[in-house]
Amino acid sequence: MSRTGSKSKRRSARLGALPLTSMIDVVFLLLIFFLVTANFAQDEHKLPATVQTEGGGVRSSDLQPQVIQIKMQGDQPIFVMGEVAVGDRASLESVLKNLPKDPGVAIKSDPEVPISAIALALQAARNAGFDKRSYVPSDGQ
Amino acid sequence: MIDVDLTSMIDVVFQLIIFFMFTSQFGELRRTEIDLPHQPGDQIEARQEPAMIIDLTNEGAYLVESIETTLSEIERLARSGVLGQNPQDPFDVLIRPDRNASAVHLDRLLMKLANTGVQRWKLATVNPGGGQ
Repeated sequence: MSRTGSKSKRRSARLGALPLTSMIDVVFLLLIFFLVTANFAQDEHKLPATVQTEGGGVRSSDLQPQVIQIKMQGDQPIFVMGEVAVGDRASLESVLKNLPKDPGVAIKSDPEVPISAIALALQAARNAGFDKRSYVPSDGQ
Repeated sequence: MIDVDLTSMIDVVFQLIIFFMFTSQFGELRRTEIDLPHQPGDQIEARQEPAMIIDLTNEGAYLVESIETTLSEIERLARSGVLGQNPQDPFDVLIRPDRNASAVHLDRLLMKLANTGVQRWKLATVNPGGGQ
């Protein structure tokens, strides 16, 4: 009995000797370290394209077979390629997959079209295998 | 034999690590919060950082380094960037638009950039779903 009692006294004496203030200090530093290194921001991706102006040597008629014209139909954007008009990325991709890839594809949009529709068209062209993707900004004020 | 106090040593080392991590991440933290278009983007994109980052808000304001900037000032900055570019590393621009902003604002910006000789640009997107 007395031996067990002296053992537990020794243990508590050892525990009491732990530098608790420094320990908490280090634990808080570890906490701050992991908070700083954790990435809470969403990962951003990029859709590369070139910019072409219609006055810069490329006329709209030169690009006509491979132009995606984005227009608004009510409050939804539609993607027009010649006679074909589609409203979603999957349909646009399947239309683009049937076109020759070498000439590239040009994208034009009406002024009121949301930029999300332009991103959708660029993404569809990229997924369909077009390496040459250009955007033709309209100079209309 | 010298008795080194390990606890204090670790304390100081962590302080230094946190200081350097904070200072190195400062550039990233300066990004304006923008509701970017939801697309997966190019999965094999170059790791090279763009020479110029322009934010485009829903109201049509242009921000460079989180500061509202006029189109003529952007044109001036881009022109000096194009003049200083080297052939191996052409000047390129990253545009971070609000997904609901109108194309007219993007068109105005790209017309100005094209006038200065910028040919390549990238559109920033986010992929909330994670799939293609």
